[in-house]
Amino acid sequence: MEAFLAGMAILADPFALFMIVAGTVIGITVGALPGISGSTTIALMLPITLGLDPVVSLAFLGSIYCAANFGGSITAILVNAPGDPSASATALEGYKMAERGEAGMALGMSAVASAIGGIFSVVVMIVAAPLLSRAAYSFGPPEYLALALFGLSMCAAVGGDSAVKNLIAATFGVLLATVGIDLTTGVERYTFGFYDLTDGVSFVAALIGLFAVGEMLDQATQQMGKPTLLKMDAVRVPGRAEFRKCNRSIWLGSVIGTFIGILPALGATAAALIGYNETRRWSKHKHEFGHGSIEGVAGPEAANNAAVGGGMVPTLALGIPGSATTAIILAGLIVQGVRPGPHLFNEQPRLLYAVFASMLAANILYLVIGLGAAKLFARISLIPAALLWPAVFVLSVIGAYGANQSMGDVWLMMAFGILGFAFRRTGFSPAPLIMGLVLGSMVEESLKQSILIFGDDVVGGFIGRPIALVLFAITALGLLVPPVLRATARLRQPQAREV
Amino acid sequence: MSVAAHLGRDRRVALAVAGIAGLAFALTFTFDSVPAALMEGLGAAEFPRLICAILLLLAVVLFVSSPAEEAALPPVHRCTWWTLAACLGFFPVLGLIGMLPAMVLFPIVVGRLWGERRPAVLLLSAALVTLVIWLLFVRIFRFTLPGGLLGDALFG
Repeated sequence: MEAFLAGMAILADPFALFMIVAGTVIGITVGALPGISGSTTIALMLPITLGLDPVVSLAFLGSIYCAANFGGSITAILVNAPGDPSASATALEGYKMAERGEAGMALGMSAVASAIGGIFSVVVMIVAAPLLSRAAYSFGPPEYLALALFGLSMCAAVGGDSAVKNLIAATFGVLLATVGIDLTTGVERYTFGFYDLTDGVSFVAALIGLFAVGEMLDQATQQMGKPTLLKMDAVRVPGRAEFRKCNRSIWLGSVIGTFIGILPALGATAAALIGYNETRRWSKHKHEFGHGSIEGVAGPEAANNAAVGGGMVPTLALGIPGSATTAIILAGLIVQGVRPGPHLFNEQPRLLYAVFASMLAANILYLVIGLGAAKLFARISLIPAALLWPAVFVLSVIGAYGANQSMGDVWLMMAFGILGFAFRRTGFSPAPLIMGLVLGSMVEESLKQSILIFGDDVVGGFIGRPIALVLFAITALGLLVPPVLRATARLRQPQAREV
Repeated sequence: MSVAAHLGRDRRVALAVAGIAGLAFALTFTFDSVPAALMEGLGAAEFPRLICAILLLLAVVLFVSSPAEEAALPPVHRCTWWTLAACLGFFPVLGLIGMLPAMVLFPIVVGRLWGERRPAVLLLSAALVTLVIWLLFVRIFRFTLPGGLLGDALFG
């Protein structure tokens, strides 16, 4: 309780509160900018947080993460261009409502559903994260190895063209994590004589390159047309009738979003799409879907914001990122010397409760700011790409340089930018690569330690660890069942046609 | 015509992945060796080799599961090549005139490439971005930015 109150005290610290407000405003702003996602912004902001207290920096990044999802819905509703990928489901119904002249109602419902989903997931996080970390306190290297492999296997479902490509990207990330001096033997690996690589691939440079520079080159290819902003009435707080209609969608979205968020690797975008589908499935007004259903706005918005708090549960309790964005936040914490996991709850409970408090505050803040200034934020989407993206590159350069004040990191960022562009063109998603890069060292260390513990009988050793065994089994099933089912369905199809 | 040209996009990607995995595997043999007396458990090269093998296996799965022929990717837009050239050109310019002046030039050049034709808007946005960066990173966070040859000559 003492730690909880100490964490909550962050809201009484003027500087921390300022950073939470700044994070919320930045989050809504970038969320409203088509192309710039919350993960890109958090990657760009990492260097700024390196000089801050870890509690404040985590509060700042957490606020951006919370607010960016909501910001994305503003442009999804008014421009039909989701500012953040997680708002793509919102655009399906929200834009139709805006065309009908109900933009104010759509935005109002989006803000309220987002806040309810977000607050619900933070409450779940406050309860679940300490419980999960307590359960994981007895975990040894074999369990961590199994957990990290489970997290990597979940990458199969993140973005990209196919599960195989996602797994290739994640494995490539693990390979990149081996760059630098091997801590157990002192041997240099894949450094090619570059001093900057002896400490490994800089997380910050890699993140900024993959997300910001890669995206800029991709945007240059797409040559986006100028967005057209639909006229909107004043944002309306939903009334009792709307609430009654959307009640079920909001709670369904909140529960689904939190659960999806807790699963490693799956983030807000997956939560929103599943939330939309389930809202439609359980709706009493199915015929309204596709024509501007307010439930179709409430469900995915509650889900994508609930995934934020859910995603923080495995990130903080186990050190396994719940999504690409939490992988970036995790990387930022590691750079600052804070390694999330079960021990963190014992060693720095204040930090964790401060994260809870700041995310709770951010959810309330963007509700207030969103309802009050949605019109203003909507205008942000009209900033021409020709002014926006060059500025993003300049920020990327200073961001990559700032972490170690090294030009080597800027070159590395550029290399990762080109890699990110190549990834996007060939149907890969950069998110699994980041997961692999972040989890790579955990996989290697826990594998090496497990082998040392078990000696000659490695297989027998793993069999004697039931938690690890169950996690390995889930990982294997998750990887093997979907292709087997697909192959079976393909085999059955011609037979069905013959009949 | 080469064999690769007949392959679908994903098959070519699979070959590239296999090539990278093979190269990374071969490079593990250039790692310094550790005296046998100090070796315990996995060495420095074994884990990367294991990962390369998995990467190779996944490349094979991708190759086998991809259609032999796929629709060709749309060509890279000319603007992308010019933007990439501007990004790479940023580095020698930075070495010559320093990071801050290069940061003023970049948005002007790329902004024009991307279709913004109003010089005042380009200048204003470039100046604004650089001013914010200077205030935040140089004044508040006390970063020392590379001055380039020009900066070194002028300010020592």
